[in-house]
Amino acid sequence: MGVLYLLSLLLGITCMLLLDHRFRLFFWRDAKAAAIVTAVGVLFLLAWDLAGIGLGIFLRGEGTIATGLLLAPELPIEEPVFLIFLVLCTMVLYTGARRLLERLPARQAERERENV
Amino acid sequence: MTYLWLALAFIAAAVVAGLAFARLGARHGETAKHWKAVGIAFAALAVLTAVFDSVMIGMELFHYDPSHILGLKVGLAPLEDFAYPLAGVVALPGLWMWLTRRRGAGAKSNLKGLVPQAVLASRPVSWINTAYPFAAAMLLTTREIDWVLIVGTFYFLIPYNLAMYGINDVFDYESDLKNPRKGGIEGALLQPHLHRPMLWLAVITNVPFLLVLAFAGGPTTWLAVGVSAFAVAAYSVAGLRFKERPVLDSLTSSTHFVSPAVVGLALAGADVTPGLLILLAAFFLWGMAAHAFGAVQDIEPDRQAGIGSIATVIGARRTVRLAVVLWLVAGLAMLATPWPGPLAAIIAVPYIANCAPYWNVTDTTAARTNVAWRRFIWLNYGSGFLVTLIFILQWSLTS
Repeated sequence: MGVLYLLSLLLGITCMLLLDHRFRLFFWRDAKAAAIVTAVGVLFLLAWDLAGIGLGIFLRGEGTIATGLLLAPELPIEEPVFLIFLVLCTMVLYTGARRLLERLPARQAERERENV
Repeated sequence: MTYLWLALAFIAAAVVAGLAFARLGARHGETAKHWKAVGIAFAALAVLTAVFDSVMIGMELFHYDPSHILGLKVGLAPLEDFAYPLAGVVALPGLWMWLTRRRGAGAKSNLKGLVPQAVLASRPVSWINTAYPFAAAMLLTTREIDWVLIVGTFYFLIPYNLAMYGINDVFDYESDLKNPRKGGIEGALLQPHLHRPMLWLAVITNVPFLLVLAFAGGPTTWLAVGVSAFAVAAYSVAGLRFKERPVLDSLTSSTHFVSPAVVGLALAGADVTPGLLILLAAFFLWGMAAHAFGAVQDIEPDRQAGIGSIATVIGARRTVRLAVVLWLVAGLAMLATPWPGPLAAIIAVPYIANCAPYWNVTDTTAARTNVAWRRFIWLNYGSGFLVTLIFILQWSLTS
């Protein structure tokens, strides 16, 4: 039983949240909306996983870096954590891209926020 | 081919949702930027997927039934795996844009400072007081560090305290305003606009851990976790306010510190022995004494705010004497536990010595006990040190 995969995912999530915090992109911009987007995204992708497992497409591996703990048949506890990471990564990339497209660096946006 | 059809079905749902959200949510002239950003994000995600999906498959984290996939691969990643990030990036940014459409680019975040406030409110100097009982109880029983121990210790270290003190500070706002002691080491005044977010933060950070801990144990654990979570909320939420019901306040407060140990014992499946029960009872009396003594210094502000506590009801002098007696009984009780438990009796002495000078305190001089209360916070570290030594001795005697 290994925790390497789980720790890597948690580390990835931490990094995404640090980016979010630094540039006020997602949770640090509108926590409620971000929580809803994250919940909807994770549930949608989890439903997809379950459908794939039900159809016999997805098979869990026996990798030594995973904990081997299962939430359901073929569904390891790492999967929802991975999905949270995927959603956070997606949203940080999107909101970051929007920020770049509007040519508004975080500091300037922040100053504007404070001046309103 | 099955995977392709499955992926197409979910992508179709995501595209429909994404188009609808973008239509509803885009302000004038925003649509083009939205889809451009979606494209940039997908390009980055596709690269990340090609690399990390290959790594994950290479590490044998998961694999696919070969008869169900197309067979086209990028690295080790089957083409269909790119459907996940595609669906996510098509639908979710639209949802985000729709949910945040009323906020201008310059809208002020009303959650500014929530996390620092929550951490300050949770009294980091006291985090160890709830994590230690859990970790010690579980480790001494199972004698190994497993994921339940790590998750549970983290839970009782931070989220548990965020909930306990966060909920408390929200519902105590009024009395705290009149208390100059709050705002530093012993707590923080919480801005009213952060009250609701603070309660949400408590729920979001606690519920997943409670579910995981319940999942890891049986009915005994469910009971222990339930009592623990109930005590955290019932202490201060409007309507229950156990902290304002004399005696029940001290009982509930002590439960805050003893219940983590009980959860640890339940998760570890400990045998219930007389010695263990005496130990828990002594710990519980210690916790009641600590709470009662802590309430003495707040008699004045609590009365002004119309808040009751064991100290406002039975008075400063009797509360101090009760605390001394409870610590004394706790110490004596430890003498009845199996060796090396009796060594722990000595831990009661500094608490009694710290508190006894106030044997004749009056309600008007009650605020002066704050000096002893500050010492009390640091005494706990010394006690933790002694308790740890005794646990190590116990470990070596039984191995």
